[in-house]
Amino acid sequence: MNPSSPMSPSSPMSQQINLTVNGMTWPVAVETSRNLCSVLRTEIGLTGTKEGCDDCECGACMVLLDGQPINSCSYLAAQADGREITTVEGLADGDELHPLQRNILSAGGVQCGFCTPGMLMSAYALLDRNPEPSIEEIRIGLSGNLCRCTGYARILTAVHETAVELNGA
Amino acid sequence: MSLTEIPAFARADGPDKVSGLGRYTADLTLTGMAHAAFRYADVPHGRIVELDTSPARAMSGVVAVITDADVPDIYLSAEIADRTLFARDVVRYEGEVVAAVAAVTPEIARAAAAAIVVRYEVLPAVTDIEAALGENSPLVHESWDSYATSGDVVRDRNTAMRSELHRGDADAAMATADVVVSGRYVADASHAVPIEPRAVVAEWQGDHLTVHTSTQVPFDARSRICETLELPTSRVRVIVPHLGGGFGGKCGAHFEPHIAALAKVAKRPVKLVFSRYEEFIAPDRRREGMIVDVATGVKHDGTIVARAAWLGIDNGAYMADATFFPQLAAMHVAGPYRTGSLKIEADLVYTNRQPSGSVRAPTAPQACWAIESHTDEIAVALDMDPIEFRRRNLVATGDVGPMGQVYDEIGALECLELATASAQASADQKPLGPDEALGVSMGWWPTFAVAAGAFAKMHADGTVQLVTGGQECGTGAVMTLRNLAADELGIDPELIELVYQDTAVAPEGPGASGSQTLLNHGRAVEVASQQIAAQLRELAADHLEAAPEDIVLAESKASVAGAPAASVAFTELVERAGAELLGTASVEMPEYPELPTSSTCIGDQGMGAWLAPQFSCHVARVAVDRDTGVVRVSEVHTAHDSGTIINLMGAHGQVEGGVLMGVGQALTEGTRYDDEGRQRNAGLLEYKLQTIADAPSIHTQFVEIATPNAGPRGAKGLAEAPNVATAGAIANALAKVIGQRVRELPMTAERVWRAQTADQSSTTTEQDQS
Ligand code: FES
Ligand code: FES
Repeated sequence: MNPSSPMSPSSPMSQQINLTVNGMTWPVAVETSRNLCSVLRTEIGLTGTKEGCDDCECGACMVLLDGQPINSCSYLAAQADGREITTVEGLADGDELHPLQRNILSAGGVQCGFCTPGMLMSAYALLDRNPEPSIEEIRIGLSGNLCRCTGYARILTAVHETAVELNGA
Repeated sequence: MSLTEIPAFARADGPDKVSGLGRYTADLTLTGMAHAAFRYADVPHGRIVELDTSPARAMSGVVAVITDADVPDIYLSAEIADRTLFARDVVRYEGEVVAAVAAVTPEIARAAAAAIVVRYEVLPAVTDIEAALGENSPLVHESWDSYATSGDVVRDRNTAMRSELHRGDADAAMATADVVVSGRYVADASHAVPIEPRAVVAEWQGDHLTVHTSTQVPFDARSRICETLELPTSRVRVIVPHLGGGFGGKCGAHFEPHIAALAKVAKRPVKLVFSRYEEFIAPDRRREGMIVDVATGVKHDGTIVARAAWLGIDNGAYMADATFFPQLAAMHVAGPYRTGSLKIEADLVYTNRQPSGSVRAPTAPQACWAIESHTDEIAVALDMDPIEFRRRNLVATGDVGPMGQVYDEIGALECLELATASAQASADQKPLGPDEALGVSMGWWPTFAVAAGAFAKMHADGTVQLVTGGQECGTGAVMTLRNLAADELGIDPELIELVYQDTAVAPEGPGASGSQTLLNHGRAVEVASQQIAAQLRELAADHLEAAPEDIVLAESKASVAGAPAASVAFTELVERAGAELLGTASVEMPEYPELPTSSTCIGDQGMGAWLAPQFSCHVARVAVDRDTGVVRVSEVHTAHDSGTIINLMGAHGQVEGGVLMGVGQALTEGTRYDDEGRQRNAGLLEYKLQTIADAPSIHTQFVEIATPNAGPRGAKGLAEAPNVATAGAIANALAKVIGQRVRELPMTAERVWRAQTADQSSTTTEQDQS
């Protein structure tokens, strides 16, 4: 559109990086100040990751970076160069939803759904590091993810049920 | 099959939402799309002395810059035409839009908006409700007298609207009281805070406009666009992708016209995505701040003889939709009680703050918090148990409401008994600690009704498309429509595809506002489905040689009652018909209850009679840390009379979300302003929402009363009612623990700590000595 735009790949401020997202590697040119959330959503076209505050306060933008949950709105894309990123689109196994996705739906933990991707990534990371969390541990684990719709009760149930299910209890 | 027997409720939009594949407005990208940014007033009150957009226009990458000069000369809104799309001459709140820029990137758009030169002659800001009503206050609108209005408004200096509710002679009745209790309660403004910040994408093709937008009210948005840009309704299409919550915050003016106008000039699609800061300061949908001064006269036996009150309600700078607030708030201050004589006056006041508008149960949580706090104070003054005091005074079937409405079947008393028993049972199991208490509050809310329509089609393969003007904002109400149709047709809900949120295909409806989806769209869906069911019965009667009325529809098959073995599949019937089966319904507004003329209301906005009123009782278990003033709510027990519950999981979800919003409003959610009227906590770190770590356990029971004038299957609304009573319940528990009343909302740790340590003077109790 505009060759002198700082967004154009030829801009001196931009940098070539490789992002591995849900197992697939994407070479992208990004401005050094761009955050990961925006690059995932616009350059890579994975809009499942949401932006609710752009300020590290709501958790809607949560993704896994090398398995660790981060708020992608406050993480520079350039810092993720060469690293493994998992987004909500990477949770399902083909058409088979991850048990967390299935359970959050069947428990009634989804209303508007805007917090859901971040909530799922947060819960996934929690169960990864603590497969049998207590209710209190789930509360602490998900306290960086705001939901305005549900009152959280059914999200809590869903995560608890998933832990039980995955542990084969 | 009864709908409530459906064990798990499947959201048709669920897979989209959990997979991350569903699109919300901000997820859309159109070819050639530019990005919008607004220049806001920044000053709460000022006269524009210079507005120079040339620095923005000169920036590389900028494709359009527009101001008031570039759009039709139109004043809005419907109720009081007190503003223009872009500021004209005077700005009246910090978030008022002065100019809009479109550029090739959001970053350039923001930089260009910032480069616009605007200079103001700063005018004195009106920021205090009571001072605004004084003779010497500066005026927010100098030319208020000349604005066009619809309906009955009261024009007086900074008064945007006034309502008075009178029943009997309140002064004389007050004089007969044994005890008069009076108090003042002040609620801060707060916000809807949907987690999705609003977004708009506007695209012109020739003279046709398509707007993708995160509105709760697509048809209203369409009207607003047509009105302000002078376009015919038929050329404007509003599509709402998935909507990330609204809570009223996404009703009303929503910046669609600004972005459409920008796209027209830019000659390319334009997208606006709000930051969280903008989401706080710019929309005309803040929950209004309120002052309640109330006095109630009672007899020693607990009989209420009179109530007198004045309410000051902060309207902010412009009229969003708040003309009905004074009357509705007055109704709430009258309360769901037999209150004897009444004299309630309510002023809606212009200030230089963000406009107030309908946020989830507008006026009710604050008014209810005040009046339910007051109710406990009366019980204390009478040395009576607060539950017993409520039991003696609550309205019941056959009683008369504040404006004279005679109640049909209602379940207020049942709500009180169920919620208090549930909380007590829990406290019996796990006794209250020394810093803990239970607090009770009642709540009530009307059910709103309008006309609505629906289309339904049954295809040759037996699947159905249900086309509705309903708007799904997360509640699941639109999702529930599928179940109503499935029940009428005798098919699996999974065979029904919902077509919704597109004004070009659906019949007009009120959108996700006023808890109306099930009530209004549900009635239309029932009729449209019944029309198809009738066609299926006719076709099957012919085939099975029986009377149509003997045909049973179940599991996508028709059979004769009592002979299920001989059946014919719907697919075969549609094939026999030779064309898909169509249902089209347009249902009128149900009749509202009559009002006798025993009461008077000045500034009547039609809120005096409530269709299928909903009642609720919330009981909160609260612990207070006396050293810090931090309040923790561990349990909330609720009982709701919202009529028949059709979608049980969805209903619990509404109550749970509403309760938690109420906890936030009770304890942390309040907008703070600086001396000039700017918001000081317009971010999620400072404006604190409740997290999962704060969330109480919520125990809900539904009182299903057969209300004669309710909606489908006897359902009332349920999205707003759960947000009404929680703050009052927490306030009453808190007062029991600390022995003092916190008279400001939110009851922050600091305010609790101060109340504990300070002398209380703003409640007075007068005992009649005679
Ligand atoms: S968008 Fe990243 S935390 Fe809110
Ligand atoms: S489901 Fe709407 S914010 Fe969580």
